[in-house]
Amino acid sequence: MKSTASLTVELDGAGNSVVRRLRSMAPLTLVPRRRGSSATGGAVVHLVGSATSPLGGDDLSLRVRVGAGARLLLRGIAASLALPGHGPGGSRGSIDIDVEDGGTVEYLPEPTVVTSRAEHRAELSVRLADSARACFRETLVLGRSGEEPGGLVSSTSLERGGIPLLRHTFEPGRQRLRASHTHLGGARVLANEVVVWDRDPEPRSEADWALQPLAGGGSLTTVLTADTVTARRRLAEARAVHPSGGELTPVEPAE
Amino acid sequence: MTPAMSTVSLATLALADSRFPGGGHAHSGGLEEAVHRGTVSGSEQLAEFLHGRLHGAGAQAAVFAAAAAHAAARGVPPDHWSLLDAELDARTPAPAQRAASRAQGRGTLRAGRSALPSRALDELHATTGSPHHPVVVGVLLGAGADRSPADTAAAMAYLSISGPASAAVRLLGLDPFEANAAVTALRAETERIAAEAARTAGHRPGSLPATSSPALDLLAEQHQRHHREEGRLFAS
Amino acid sequence: MQAEHQHQGHGQHVHGQYGHRHPVDFDPTSAGPDPFAPAASGSRPVRIGIGGPVGSGKTALTAALCRTLGAELELAVVTNDIYTTEDADFLRQAGVLDPGRVEAVQTGACPHTAIRDDITANLDAVERLQQRYASLDLVLVESGGDNLTAVFSRGLADVQVFVVDVAGGDKVPRKGGPGVTTADLLVVNKVDLAERVGADMAVMLADAHRMRGELAVLAQSLTDDPAASAAADWVRRQVAEHRAAVGPSAE
Repeated sequence: MKSTASLTVELDGAGNSVVRRLRSMAPLTLVPRRRGSSATGGAVVHLVGSATSPLGGDDLSLRVRVGAGARLLLRGIAASLALPGHGPGGSRGSIDIDVEDGGTVEYLPEPTVVTSRAEHRAELSVRLADSARACFRETLVLGRSGEEPGGLVSSTSLERGGIPLLRHTFEPGRQRLRASHTHLGGARVLANEVVVWDRDPEPRSEADWALQPLAGGGSLTTVLTADTVTARRRLAEARAVHPSGGELTPVEPAE
Repeated sequence: MTPAMSTVSLATLALADSRFPGGGHAHSGGLEEAVHRGTVSGSEQLAEFLHGRLHGAGAQAAVFAAAAAHAAARGVPPDHWSLLDAELDARTPAPAQRAASRAQGRGTLRAGRSALPSRALDELHATTGSPHHPVVVGVLLGAGADRSPADTAAAMAYLSISGPASAAVRLLGLDPFEANAAVTALRAETERIAAEAARTAGHRPGSLPATSSPALDLLAEQHQRHHREEGRLFAS
Repeated sequence: MQAEHQHQGHGQHVHGQYGHRHPVDFDPTSAGPDPFAPAASGSRPVRIGIGGPVGSGKTALTAALCRTLGAELELAVVTNDIYTTEDADFLRQAGVLDPGRVEAVQTGACPHTAIRDDITANLDAVERLQQRYASLDLVLVESGGDNLTAVFSRGLADVQVFVVDVAGGDKVPRKGGPGVTTADLLVVNKVDLAERVGADMAVMLADAHRMRGELAVLAQSLTDDPAASAAADWVRRQVAEHRAAVGPSAE
């Protein structure tokens, strides 16, 4: 199944961020929850069903545009499973986000569980204007408890003002690679969080996470843990030492 | 019968040689930190470390070495080097890894200016100051007569594992035969990675493949922290 | 003394946002002239290598030279600490040099490689110091403690000092090795201990001269002469000869 959903958020005359265009297409359902000023968190939209959790054969894409000065929080609702499906060639999900000057986007999906027979490509492309801000996260759980993960290629591309800040492609790989202490060191959960805000952090390094300022601006937090509860805790710890961490939607404790 | 021609240039061999005086001997590529963590303490664990390093950082470096060799061979304008530099930065999120790559790049550039001077090398230097290691290696080999992105990529992939293997011998007193065998056991994979890197050598810089190694990023950052706190023998 | 922040137009060093005050070694994203381009020899300081076995007193000699010469020469030090940054910390804490004038090099567990076969990290350190202090007269490069075969590459050190001590035994000069036979100056250190360790100074110095021909030999005790006067005189002559050979420092 090929489906395309889209979402546009802009500022209205009163300074509130409002949803101007919204098109859901199964299995991608967008639910506007709130409008609001940037100070109060802006517009909130829930993504039910996820572009990262389709069935085999699906080709899902979501296009998001955040207008100048507007703020959007796009949030996932439940953990999703990358499952095998009916079609050949695996599944693909892509999200393209454009943020205009002074705009802000936070994209905070729930974890994706990569099941044993998954064959999935996830692509996230974020293009920011010079003064735009962004925070986005990816949490990958490599197999349900005791399960080997299937095939996954997750790519992230982030540009600001046409300059590349992050190009990232992660594949869990075979068991031998996952066990290598240069790749995953046997960790089952990989969480990444990118923050491009007003201030960038100093590097911070702990045994299972690191807050890393990127060369072109912004930062990447990398977390490797055995479970999602610990991963969230580490993300929160990284937020606590990020100079802009207090302006972001808090990392909610694991359910 | 005509004598067989060698297909690997002396320049490629010299750059891949651990005796090449480009500063590589002081970099362990995360191995020293892994030793301190206790995750590498013998030859078998070294083999697993090298396997992961080759497929992650090694493959990434090979891609950019091949792309730089391709670019140097066709004579790109100098601003191409800025693009490649920014794209490799964007694929290297750990500041410690960027610093290690630029330190080795600077050293390789210094040695390369004596050994294999070229206009492309001067332009790379003028454009980027302290270039990334794989890009310097690519330019050194691509601007010469040999011009084989695949060989360049293979040399770069090899460098990504030969340095850590040597560091393991020095840090752990490993049997050098076993450590060396752990490197040569990866020859088929190295050739595959080199061939794949050569295949994408002509891509636009923004479209070159990215390969992440999250655990290696954490090791690199921890190495820097521990060097500040208690001192480390290797620069990375 | 030169000011610590001499960013001569290369790099932007825009770190004010976080209140950085440390000297920035280099800005890798800079598109300006490369601070690491080799300076013409006429504009660079003389580089003196100080090598020798572990415990022979290299760091103590280096510290003494810094104290004696620091007021009359623009100088800086590169240390090749073998395991930690202990030597660099010693020099900084001894108050003999501004912390910014000491650079520590990581040698990857191979101190002789770092001064001889692959001098990259040491050259980087020297060039960082030259970038930070534009008118240096002298850079002392202290090797990590090694064995009698370790010598400095001529690509790194213009002249070199090899330090041995009487406690290592009076046979050391006779054993030879490139350090003893080829260094521009051989320092026999800790001569105040000779009697206690049973070293025959006459034999030691005679062997040293026999092994070295015309090359200089100097016996010293930093206990008796904390200023290392004779070694300091030798260093002064090297600086003067370097200046005479290549002209005064360009800056």
